[in-house]
Amino acid sequence: MIAQVSLGSSPLKQPLDNIHAYSILPRMIGHVDADCFYVSAERVRHRHLLGLPVGVLGNHGACIIAKSYEMKASGVGTGVPIWEAAKICPEGIYVKRDFRWYEVLSRKMLDVVKRHSPRVEFYSVDESFFQARSWTAKDASGLQRELIREVGVPVSVGIAPTKTLAKLISDSVKPFGYGVALTESARRELLEGLPVTEITGIAKRSAVKLASHGITTCDQLAAADRAFVRWLLTKRGEDLWWELNGTSVLPINVARPVHKFVSRGGSIGRASSDRQRVAAYVVRNVERLVEALDHYKLVCDQLTLSLLFRDAPERGQRVSLLGSTSGVEPLRQAALWLLPQVWQPPRAAVHYMHVIAGRLWPRWQSQPSLFDQPALRDPQQDTRTAALETVTQQVNASVGRFALRSGMTTPLADVHADPANEYDICDIYGKSCF
Amino acid sequence: MCKGISILKARLKQELFDEYELEKRIVARAESEQPELHFMYPDPVVELPVEWDGQTLIMEWGNRGNKESKLPRTGWCRKESLDAGKWRWLKPEPCIIPANFGLEKGVWFHIDEGLEGVVVRDEQDKPHVYMLTQAASVYYENMTRHERMPVLVGQVI
Ligand SMILES: [Mg+2]
Repeated sequence: MIAQVSLGSSPLKQPLDNIHAYSILPRMIGHVDADCFYVSAERVRHRHLLGLPVGVLGNHGACIIAKSYEMKASGVGTGVPIWEAAKICPEGIYVKRDFRWYEVLSRKMLDVVKRHSPRVEFYSVDESFFQARSWTAKDASGLQRELIREVGVPVSVGIAPTKTLAKLISDSVKPFGYGVALTESARRELLEGLPVTEITGIAKRSAVKLASHGITTCDQLAAADRAFVRWLLTKRGEDLWWELNGTSVLPINVARPVHKFVSRGGSIGRASSDRQRVAAYVVRNVERLVEALDHYKLVCDQLTLSLLFRDAPERGQRVSLLGSTSGVEPLRQAALWLLPQVWQPPRAAVHYMHVIAGRLWPRWQSQPSLFDQPALRDPQQDTRTAALETVTQQVNASVGRFALRSGMTTPLADVHADPANEYDICDIYGKSCF
Repeated sequence: MCKGISILKARLKQELFDEYELEKRIVARAESEQPELHFMYPDPVVELPVEWDGQTLIMEWGNRGNKESKLPRTGWCRKESLDAGKWRWLKPEPCIIPANFGLEKGVWFHIDEGLEGVVVRDEQDKPHVYMLTQAASVYYENMTRHERMPVLVGQVI
């Protein structure tokens, strides 16, 4: 107000009007999301796939993990087995996933977004949130054009006062769309009739709870009583309520949130009851886990092994370690000790596994265990182990991941022979979400 | 294995179209603007594009029906047999079968550059091409449900 009075006749009226506008407008947040990212990434290097129904296959070549809009239109969904997809979409082209290539493009996209904004959150492999410096449709389309020109990947862009609204926009304008919700009417229009399940953070269970109170759409949720939403969905739900109503409460996380757990694992391909093969997978996943702990400069106090069987209920067990560690040797020993405990009944066929590090500490903060008595240990052995780990790291850093690995993983010669297996999606570091 | 391939029309020179009547092999896939040519083993005329001896040409694919010929009555050559010397008497020469997509059991898979093959000559000294095969990787077998796979150039499936 003071500014307006004193500057009413100023020749600088125009720019200061902008400052005034800034003070009443909320900070705007942008959301960039690649359209069918894995397929688009394949199209960057294989241009002839443009316009074709394309499906990217997962780690074992059996299921569709991403599909082009052309393939989607023929009725193929994510997760569909390839033999079904090939029947539904006989003209479809199937491509083996290449996470290493997808990360290259993911980083390039992030670099472009960072040129547009001082604050960028690397949300997932193909999505980021950013603080929008300006918020016209032209800005959104400009970013989109720049990404297609420099990276070759089509994206959708949403700009709104909150993360939740920005993401709802980019989801609803796909593919290759953009939208800005600056005004109250634009916000209302966006939310009207949109199912609550479209909101990231409203899981199926929350949606069921909401539905039992007659709330199925975003506009209904936004119009609901705030205290009621908090009672029903706790603080997380209330946060979303604020966000839907245009008040930003979820910040742009520039740094990745501190981990509670770090986990490595996944499918082991064909379910197996071969002891050596399963043990080899445990060791391989421990080696991946150690690599992740090293990357985040963390140590752990606990290790959990969980196994999913094809023909028996899932089982998991946790063990406390002797002091904080991120060493291959103690973690391998712990995991292999857990294996027979968790593998019950022993004839069950293992299908998926996870090796999970818990009770994490930054490496510099780690405490030696009370039970870890140096007097009881062989110092020479310790030095040898440490030296071996250093050499392993150095060799792998220059030759390639897992070039040097435990002899126990030799039953997985087929897995290691394929360079594509060296890279899994969870090995792309720095995302704030999976 | 791989019972047929597809190659982008743009990868083949115009002269080949006139010489080998390739026009009838042109197919449009979905909404793509890039026409393709299909070469299938069950086709009336069994052929494949081949990069051999510094040029690209169209060659008869194996020996499908000629009982009189000395050539093996198949379109594929097992790499194990080749390595074991079982094809030596035919004086096989390596070649590349350029391709963009391969077909097996109804699944079209992407091919980066092409497939490995061998060229052998029949009694009339006419060259024929055989597609090399090897034991399928787990990935390929899941994808196509076939226990043999082609030998891909610079690509691992
Ligand atoms: Mg996306």
